[in-house]
Amino acid sequence: MDQLINYTFVIRKCDLDCIFDFTFNFLAKNINMRSISLVFRRIAKSLLLISSLSLGIQANAQNQPASNTAAPQAASGDVAAESGAAPAGDAAAGGALFKQKCTSCHAMSRVVVGPALKGINQKYDEAWLIKWIKNSQALVAAGDPAAVKVFNEYNKVVMTAFPELSDDDIRNILAYVEAESNKPEGAAAGTGTGAEGETAAGGDGVSDFMLGSLILVVIVALLVILVLNRVIKTLEKVILQKQGLLTEEDLVVEGESAAVRFRRLAKNKKFVFFTILLLVIFFGSWGWVTLWNVGVHQGYQPEQPIKYSHQLHAGTLKIDCQYCHFSAYKSKNAAIPSLNVCMNCHNYVTASEKYNGETSPEIAKIYKALDYDPQTKQYGDNPKPIQWVRVHNLPDLAYFNHSQHVTVAGIRCQECHGPIQTMPEVYQYAPLTMKWCINCHRERSVNHKGNAYYDKVLAVHETIKKGVKVTPAVLGGLECGKCHY
Amino acid sequence: MESNKKYWKGLEELQKTPEFVENNKGEFSESLPIEEVLNDAGLKTVTPRRDFLKALGFGVGAVTLAACQKAPVHKSIPYLIKPEEVTPGVANYYASSFNGVGVLVKTREGRPIKIEGNPACLLGEGRLDAVGQASILDLYDVSKLKGPKLKGENVGWQEVDSFVRGELNKIQAGGKKIRIVSSTINSPSGKAVIADFIAQYPNTRHIQYDAVSYSGIIQANQSSFGRAVIPHYHFERADVIVSFGADFLGSWISPLEFNRQYIRKRNIASLKNKKMSRHIQIESGMTTTGTNADVRIAVKPSEEALVLLNLYSALGGAAQTQKLSNPKAEKALTLVAKELTAARGRALVVSGSNDVNVQIVVNAINSLIGSYGTTIDINNPSYQYAGNDADFMTLLGEMQRGEVDGVFFVNANPAYTFGNQKEFSEALSKVRLKVSFSDRPDETAALCDVLAPVPNYLETWNDANPVAGYYTIVQPTINPVYNTRQAEQSLLIWSDNPVKNYYQYVKNNWERTILPSVGMSWKELLQKGVATTGGASIIANTGSTLQEGAGAAGTIAATSAPVASGARVGAVNIGAAAQNILKTSQALAQGAEKGAELSLYESVALRDGRYANNAWLQELPDPVSKVTWDNYVAINPKYAEKLGIVEFDNVIVKAGDKSIELPALYQPGQAQGTVSIALGYGRSKVGKAGDEVGKNAYPFITYTNGTFHRVASVTIEKGNGRYELAQTQTHHSFEGRNVVRETTFNQYANDPYSGTGKHEMEHKTYDLWPEHKQVGHSWVMAIDLNACTGCGACVVACNVENNIPVVGRDEVRRRREMTWLRIDRYYSIQDGKNSVTEENELKHLDNNDFEDVTVVNQPMLCQHCDHAPCETVCPVIATMHSTDGLNHMAYNRCVGTRYCANNCPYKVRRFNWFNYWNDSRFDNYMNNEFTQLVLNPDVTTRFRGVMEKCTMCIQRIQAGRLQAKIEKRPLRDLEIQTACQQTCPGNAIIFGDRNDPNSAVRKALDNERTYYVLQELNTQPGIGYQTLVRNTVEEA
Repeated sequence: MDQLINYTFVIRKCDLDCIFDFTFNFLAKNINMRSISLVFRRIAKSLLLISSLSLGIQANAQNQPASNTAAPQAASGDVAAESGAAPAGDAAAGGALFKQKCTSCHAMSRVVVGPALKGINQKYDEAWLIKWIKNSQALVAAGDPAAVKVFNEYNKVVMTAFPELSDDDIRNILAYVEAESNKPEGAAAGTGTGAEGETAAGGDGVSDFMLGSLILVVIVALLVILVLNRVIKTLEKVILQKQGLLTEEDLVVEGESAAVRFRRLAKNKKFVFFTILLLVIFFGSWGWVTLWNVGVHQGYQPEQPIKYSHQLHAGTLKIDCQYCHFSAYKSKNAAIPSLNVCMNCHNYVTASEKYNGETSPEIAKIYKALDYDPQTKQYGDNPKPIQWVRVHNLPDLAYFNHSQHVTVAGIRCQECHGPIQTMPEVYQYAPLTMKWCINCHRERSVNHKGNAYYDKVLAVHETIKKGVKVTPAVLGGLECGKCHY
Repeated sequence: MESNKKYWKGLEELQKTPEFVENNKGEFSESLPIEEVLNDAGLKTVTPRRDFLKALGFGVGAVTLAACQKAPVHKSIPYLIKPEEVTPGVANYYASSFNGVGVLVKTREGRPIKIEGNPACLLGEGRLDAVGQASILDLYDVSKLKGPKLKGENVGWQEVDSFVRGELNKIQAGGKKIRIVSSTINSPSGKAVIADFIAQYPNTRHIQYDAVSYSGIIQANQSSFGRAVIPHYHFERADVIVSFGADFLGSWISPLEFNRQYIRKRNIASLKNKKMSRHIQIESGMTTTGTNADVRIAVKPSEEALVLLNLYSALGGAAQTQKLSNPKAEKALTLVAKELTAARGRALVVSGSNDVNVQIVVNAINSLIGSYGTTIDINNPSYQYAGNDADFMTLLGEMQRGEVDGVFFVNANPAYTFGNQKEFSEALSKVRLKVSFSDRPDETAALCDVLAPVPNYLETWNDANPVAGYYTIVQPTINPVYNTRQAEQSLLIWSDNPVKNYYQYVKNNWERTILPSVGMSWKELLQKGVATTGGASIIANTGSTLQEGAGAAGTIAATSAPVASGARVGAVNIGAAAQNILKTSQALAQGAEKGAELSLYESVALRDGRYANNAWLQELPDPVSKVTWDNYVAINPKYAEKLGIVEFDNVIVKAGDKSIELPALYQPGQAQGTVSIALGYGRSKVGKAGDEVGKNAYPFITYTNGTFHRVASVTIEKGNGRYELAQTQTHHSFEGRNVVRETTFNQYANDPYSGTGKHEMEHKTYDLWPEHKQVGHSWVMAIDLNACTGCGACVVACNVENNIPVVGRDEVRRRREMTWLRIDRYYSIQDGKNSVTEENELKHLDNNDFEDVTVVNQPMLCQHCDHAPCETVCPVIATMHSTDGLNHMAYNRCVGTRYCANNCPYKVRRFNWFNYWNDSRFDNYMNNEFTQLVLNPDVTTRFRGVMEKCTMCIQRIQAGRLQAKIEKRPLRDLEIQTACQQTCPGNAIIFGDRNDPNSAVRKALDNERTYYVLQELNTQPGIGYQTLVRNTVEEA
């Protein structure tokens, strides 16, 4: 019995849904080999989880001071700049400027649009660099040999002129570049992953730990109660035996086989009636719920060919939904963005700092699909489209138009798609059932303010339905043909 | 009752034949053998009760198991690099042109799915005919060639190029002739390419050969005025139109344009001004144009020319004539002559004959009545047809003599369309290099060595010059799907032209010649699609600018004055022409003494046969006979009775050694002693849909006096057995209820309400249902019967827009055609002054010859009744009324009881008996993934067992409303157009919001002529019809 409770605990930790399934199996059926192995697998899984959890907590505790010291990166940069050969500038201020003006075309150790900047201070003298950055074309036009060489080397791509930068600004930037160049290659990657792990573990750790200890307390309490109960029962028996109050019948019952006991129960009409009633209620409600959910895929979370994270893009980076899903605003389709949209950023965002200078394998998939060579910046002629798996599958018989809901009604994406900005992988948040549609059409008000289309329609309506909230339903939004044609 | 005229759709309905009665009874239900199954015998039947139960049990189990499968995974594949102008889910429109008519091609995600008329086009003015609407399906035709072939082998273009070039050089060296045989090419760039080719290979000549040619008109104009052209006709300027067998509303020269012109003098606006043209049709077989005529006189083909000659002399021309034997024609003649004289300068006479002599007389008549410069513009001619029959015969002779070593066929298929096919194929076999530019392995391509398939017009660059001074551009809307290449491009390559790319060639050509004179840039042209040079006078049919008598500038001086014109035409010897006509007519009549006179006509849907593989056109009921998927021998019932032929009997039509066997069809209005057969059928190598549909009637065409004549004298014999044509005319019966209303122009002028039934005592109505309040929009439609010519464009447009399946011949026979919109054609009989009002009256009219029938065309579609009988009977509430006046149909709720169809008095509901999209029985249509690309993605395809009907294009309504909402503005009138409305050449259909007091539909419905079909049932239909007005002259 104790063991059984232990199992249950472990499973609850693992997956709340499974517990019913499991206990049902365990109690009602005989324990056959399959279920045993299943049980063990689950135990092992959850044990692993717990151990990793505790490890995570430990790591968290250890990481805390480490990341604190690593945080002011610019400070260490300062040191480097001072010790380094060249430019006397404020690397911190330069870093800010660099991120603002330069990152779209330059990186430290690899070619983006323009050349890699590592060691630039050693290659050119400062005065030349200042001139070049302020207006590179002037230099090229003047026939400066170095300028012409660089210009030709990089496919005659004109570097944007920055006349707004002062000489000091440029010196600061160069100082920042110097500091970054002097950093060891792996350092950035190391701190990056560490930081990532920290947030991940830190976020989950607390709640898991709390949950775990809470469950532990409950279980210990239960155990105590059970043990005490058993002790009491045994004690009672002993006392009764001692007192000689134990009758023959009780003793006979004690010795009865399970089969006989079952047969006796089967003859008990009340017992049979209630059992059947319970079964009917159980299967009935189970069937009812199941049937209602046929074809409802709420929570559907297929694996996608690219591990694209909305959490990162929409949550952390706060990219507007419209940037990629622009057609949701003017078309019936929200449309998965085409890869040229991805390339607007991933032309130079390769997340290489997390992969030891290599392009992230997920981003590399974009390049592969486009047959794009990040080294030469050339597109090949063997592109292969990415086959995403549709998450929201509205049946063909229902017509749904995004622009009607997003542009006209002004509904936020999250209202139907859920907390998309927290989803590392997208799942279906809403049930997408007709009931769900209808409810919304009944409850929400029509966003008619300032829309001249509605003025005429509503004016007529309001004469009839004075004081009634104008929902889509009032305007005929529940009629079959509005969505089914 | 104002009119108790008896209308009928088919003779079987009028005579209540037992077959008809039986079929009509079974319109909805086939009785199930329930009694048999339930009694004791039930165990011995083919499917015994127990077997049935077993099957039932198994079925339920199987379905349950099948339902347990996991939901399929759907892939979503975005563009790699999305073209800037494409937004998934939003349609793009591109200007192009089809047969010289400007069109807008609707594309979704890069695939064309619908064609609309280009409002900037002067010929169509935003409208399109049935053929144009259906042409989109040809793009997705799986029967086309997928790449070039050389002597039966699949090869690459390079092999073809080197082979053809080599051969051409050898031919050039040998000094033998090269011929390019094409149907009419009016593309300026195309003609330039051919000219360049000829410059490279000087032995080349370009021969234009039209299967249904207008050589007669061209040659007549050459001899009358020294200009070998087809003039540009202006029906909108004519108050009196007399047509001798010219089906100008169906297939003659430029039917779409003529429809638009013709209706201008008959529509609501014209009637409001108390003006209406008068149209007299003299013909042997009933044509679409004939159904619209105010007066129609049935004559034999041999008489047709005689009537013309007599008319000429009655108008004062001097020519030898022969007295007419037909008293009706004689009587009509005097009347026509009087009217034409009265309407001098506002009249037009046209003839469908291809006989030069007949056309010379027509020219002379038009000169007499002052048509030149008013209703006929010969200075700005039409280039739509330029085929020269004599040229083709010369070529045949040259080939037979072995003088020709190279032939290129561009959009021409003489192996099918030339009368003597054996002669042609033997002649062709003597040619060394035979190149076919057909898009499919057709009859001529089968005789060629090199097949250089061309893409569809939606995949090509080109231009057109249909009428002098008017140009349209053809631009591709999709990359070539198959490995095809334009004929022009091939010719450029083979002639080593410095410009090898036809796109570049067209662009250069325009930038050099046309664009400077119209002051447009290439980009503007692509956006607009059309260009006009030489002033607006060329085609002044844009409504308001129309001024009577003020036609094109600079009319031919000689013809502007009657005397001079007479002299001019007389100079080419009318006398000789008359003599020839008399001779030909006599020969025709004599030949037919023991048989009948045959007239061949171009089918409205398939035209000369080039659209034979288009399933939409095959299933479009013929505007007159309502027959689908076949041609037939049209014969007058009285005449058939005389010959002992019953309808649908196979008859053998024979002329000399040529004969074909086709089923007979009773055609009211057909002249006695004549039969008519449609051309364009009987193709053997066109593809899945069109192969062996009907019989080829081209062999009856004879070459006489320098042109192909489409009349012949034949003998008729009864053949073997019967063949039931798939004829839709009596499907969806109104059970004898009067649903069409008509009046005459005189009555209308006195009382605009005449004929509508508004003067009768109002029925007391009882409403079983509460009133529907339509407070927002109220979508309704108005259909003007007087503006409907029955051309069928709306039917095809509806099919394309709403993904309506084609069901095929057998299913049409079972009355299962799916068209949501049908055009009901009603006949009525005029017996002198009196109209026949009841079936039994007909029995007393012993000598009624079924020649004098009048016709009404009525588009019939879901009436969106406010008190819809269908809504009440649906057990699952699948059909519901909306707050904006539409009758909605939720397919997914429908369980297919068909109660609604049973209870619909308009018979407009259609039941899906099969999954037409995914059923091998319908292989000739869309049972393949490629053709399915033509489907409209905004409309669902319906499943088996579901009822469907007209939705008033609800997808367009919703899209239009959404657009207004997004732009935050009220909805504009006519912003939302239904597919049928948008394409209707006559503008007979108007859709809109009844609650908008300024809407066009409101105005149309407020018109005096408006009536509602089956008003007395108080269904409160949402579609109002306007009465037909016939401009008959009450005889004294």
